[in-house]
Amino acid sequence: MNHRNSTPSDEPRSRPKSGITTISLALAAVALAASACGSSSKSASTPPGSSPSGSSSSSGGTVVVGDATTLSGAIAQLGQTGLQGVELAISDLNAKGGLMGKTIKLVSADDGVTPATGASEVRNMITADHAAAIFGPVASSVAAAEEQVTNQFGVPMFFYTSNDISLMRGGANKYAFQFVPNTLMEPNAVADFFAKQEAGKQLTIATIAPDYSFGHDTVDGFVSALNRLHVNYKLVAQEYPPLTATNISSYLSAIVNANPDYVFNAQFGGDLVNFTQQAQSFGLFQKTKVIAMYDYDVLKTLGSAAPAGSIGFDRAPFWAIPQVASFAAEYKAKYGDYPSEWAIMGYSAVQGWAYAVQKAGSFDASAVSRALTGATVPTIRGDITIRACDHQAEIPEYVGVIASQPDPTYGVRLYSSTFTAPFSDIAPACPGA
Amino acid sequence: MHGAVVDIVSTLSTAGYLFIVSAGLTLIFGAVRVINLAHGSFYMYGAFLLTTIVGLSSGTKFWLAVPVCALALAALGALVEVTVMRRLYEREHLTQLLATFGLLLIFGDLALHLWGTGARTVAPPVPFHGRFTLAGATVPAYDIVVIGVAALVGAGLWLLLTRSMFGWRIRAAVSDPETLACAGVNTKLLMTMVFALGAGLAGLAGAIVSPQSSVAPGIDQAIIVSAFIVTVIGGLGSILGSALGALLIGLAETLGTRYVPDWASTVIYVVLIVVLVARPSGLLGAPER
Amino acid sequence: MAGEAVLPRRPTRLVRSNGSGVGRLATARLIATPIVVIGLLALLGRTLSINNVLTLEEVLGLAVFAMATNLLLGYGGLVSFGQAAFYGSGAYMIGLSWLHHWMSFWPAFVLTPVVGAVAALLMGLIALRTRRLYFALLTLAFSELFYQLVNVRYSFTKGATGIFAVSMIPASLAQPRTGYYFTLGVASAAILLLWKITVSPFGLVLRATRENRERAEAIGVNVFRHQLLAFVISGAFCSLAGALFAVYGQSTYPDLLNWTTSGQPLFMAVIGGMFVFLGPALGALLYQVGFQYITQHTHDWQLVLGGALLLVVLFRPDGLSGLVLSNPFASLRRRIRGADSGVTEAEATSILEQVPATVTPRSVDQREQMEVPPDG
Repeated sequence: MNHRNSTPSDEPRSRPKSGITTISLALAAVALAASACGSSSKSASTPPGSSPSGSSSSSGGTVVVGDATTLSGAIAQLGQTGLQGVELAISDLNAKGGLMGKTIKLVSADDGVTPATGASEVRNMITADHAAAIFGPVASSVAAAEEQVTNQFGVPMFFYTSNDISLMRGGANKYAFQFVPNTLMEPNAVADFFAKQEAGKQLTIATIAPDYSFGHDTVDGFVSALNRLHVNYKLVAQEYPPLTATNISSYLSAIVNANPDYVFNAQFGGDLVNFTQQAQSFGLFQKTKVIAMYDYDVLKTLGSAAPAGSIGFDRAPFWAIPQVASFAAEYKAKYGDYPSEWAIMGYSAVQGWAYAVQKAGSFDASAVSRALTGATVPTIRGDITIRACDHQAEIPEYVGVIASQPDPTYGVRLYSSTFTAPFSDIAPACPGA
Repeated sequence: MHGAVVDIVSTLSTAGYLFIVSAGLTLIFGAVRVINLAHGSFYMYGAFLLTTIVGLSSGTKFWLAVPVCALALAALGALVEVTVMRRLYEREHLTQLLATFGLLLIFGDLALHLWGTGARTVAPPVPFHGRFTLAGATVPAYDIVVIGVAALVGAGLWLLLTRSMFGWRIRAAVSDPETLACAGVNTKLLMTMVFALGAGLAGLAGAIVSPQSSVAPGIDQAIIVSAFIVTVIGGLGSILGSALGALLIGLAETLGTRYVPDWASTVIYVVLIVVLVARPSGLLGAPER
Repeated sequence: MAGEAVLPRRPTRLVRSNGSGVGRLATARLIATPIVVIGLLALLGRTLSINNVLTLEEVLGLAVFAMATNLLLGYGGLVSFGQAAFYGSGAYMIGLSWLHHWMSFWPAFVLTPVVGAVAALLMGLIALRTRRLYFALLTLAFSELFYQLVNVRYSFTKGATGIFAVSMIPASLAQPRTGYYFTLGVASAAILLLWKITVSPFGLVLRATRENRERAEAIGVNVFRHQLLAFVISGAFCSLAGALFAVYGQSTYPDLLNWTTSGQPLFMAVIGGMFVFLGPALGALLYQVGFQYITQHTHDWQLVLGGALLLVVLFRPDGLSGLVLSNPFASLRRRIRGADSGVTEAEATSILEQVPATVTPRSVDQREQMEVPPDG
């Protein structure tokens, strides 16, 4: 314990008298240094597609595309596998000679599920790396932030995981394209299938969804679709646990004790795995069927705990789309596992961009956008038409019944029967139509 | 009756889960007065390690794997104590928070490399695989395990701190480390052991709740806030307080989900605020020196 | 004399805490420095690339956030993990005003500090009853409560999706360089105001309460009121910083309210140096630029950030401004001599020497000593 009764003059007076001056100069120095680093690269008027080293010859050189998505935390798997799909598409393109003679380079970053981080990363990719296109993230909030940036700088943006319908703002954003079924399409497809399966019966339904817009929108969409299809149902419970909540036993026991015929669950990924496991121990699946986003990754993780007889929906199940087979094998060879729906949609988004670039003959955003709007693009999952009014890809949603035995080829319980809900049935009307 | 039974079991199992998770944190804070955000990392590593050892099967392997996880995390805790925590004992709490937050980030990143980005599952071991009905309500059998382990941990810690030489030494070290050292006790080793015990408890928590709870990236950060709140409500350093805090939160969440489902996620914070307004040092805590 | 609540008379000339006076040259320097720095930053607004201008715009808002938090942390000794509640409130004030058509941007912007002050008053009345770690966790709970409330009332706030609309701010401010100048102006005014507060009698007494709460109380200072006022001021400026974020990002979302956002200004203050006035601003710049650099170059940003944080906190407790301000040889000498505990005793004495003191200082626990350089 120090009881030094030193006077202030004891303190080493070698410090400068005014901290403010010194700190301010330090700040200014750092800011100047940062600006020197920044402005030594190209000015913002450099057209995208020219290589950083300066040569903008029509053949040779590189073109950069960017993807700022979630690579850590609870939804990392969606971001990681999706990014892998994008990566594979780009390496396949490069293997065939690149795009318009240029090698495509992918820059990626982890957005940490923070909109401001995603936005500044995308801004960096556009201004410093001269990205000619941006591929979207997992979370809709980050997507909205990134879209503001791509809109501001006029760069094409391709969503392949985040699917909030408001991202397309009724077609106001001419540079953005949606390669994934939006938040209205998915519950419509499920309600469609459900209505067909359970026509005429009176049912009790409970819903559980993560407590944010996607969860609420999906549940609301499902319920209003049921109404539209005149399904005879009664809602017995509606639960909204927080997103990524680990202990949901109180929500679950509320549902179990309401004893519903069906539970519509808008959770996904790790949350859904968690829910299913806990529901198993409650014996929920004895009397109840659950309808949820049981995709390959979730079913694989669950293994024998996968609820046979329950209903899963998937935006791009690789085993149910015949055209995807060779891509699936290629993906497995490179990454060690079969592709998730995000990987497939990511790959098709890159294909969409590449197609548009070739059709337009340039990387310029307006040209690419015009070329892609209304066009029909060949992709690994078949031909996709991009609807002109809202830049939504006209893709189906897949709904299936979970098998009780593992698939002999893939070793995972997949769908025993898959119902494809066509775009025309599930798509929301064109805005202003 | 049916509803009340459900509520009681739900409360007890939530409380049990929260207590197991917070016990290590309380111990470390009570003994060495250090805030350890990396507690969440130890929890997560315990859970992931269990899934690695057990794979998708269950049975006796599970019961062997749990203590292995606890011991492994205790070892990791000892390592962390010797390298990092030792330098933080005399520092301000903010410094401790920031340093251990740095550790949390580092461990989180390493986990992504070790175990990947996907979620994992462990089935509850066979005798507790099913469920049973109690007064018409369905109760998962594994809840009993959670409640049982929580009780064991609580009793064990209490006995340790009040009745054993080790516990006596810990409490002496908190009051007056210099005198204890003069008495010939190796205080540095003591601190390492305490921290290792706390980390081991966190690993145990992760392993034990893994059949019922998510094992995926991000659970380290998700658990940390709840664990701190339970610890603080009870009063930092008080095991009994921690148990009371867990019960209080368990009750509040159960009732909250039933009666005000729209606001259920805010319940835990409201409880903390109310408790701290009424008792600024927690239910059974003492004001910090 | 004991028990008299006497605050120091406002000094007729600037007096430093070490007792030395400030001459004309020093006064001139004190006035010239902000002019030069602001001028420099304004010049950068014209010469930097758009990307860097926007980055700097973000940093300016964060600097205000960090410095407002540091009023509590460095000057008041209060570790609040709840400042994001005010930051987010400021941003949501702008966002919700736009969403629900309450009022146009300018009235909303002017009102944000008021919103923050009111929220801080309410929170402070409750939270300041607790001490140290309990205080930190209580403020954290408030922050999380606000976060959950915003998430839950999603029909009102758009929940986790957030409010994204370029039109929530005037079109002129959405132009990068104009937005930057606006932010520079507001931030400069805010920081100058904060500086005036820290060197005022209120600021000095606040520092005294940090050093030795009991002694301050013993001489009649109402510590609670001082802390509450500091809390309210901090809340107002944090809210303003949040509004600046809304200008920068044209968006607001719930994450702005949670505890990890609360932690950011604390990191920045610690990294930059919490006992130096501009330390947090330096911290904001370094953190933001450093973070962007790290995420651009690796996916393992958590490893790098965590490691950096750990190293800075363990080995550079004065923050990096300690590096800028201190003479490396002096610190080496001190470390060798083992005399690297603070001179809290002397500083407290010198500050309180402007106030009549009838109680001799109690010995300060080693644990509570902190380095206190002369103000500046």
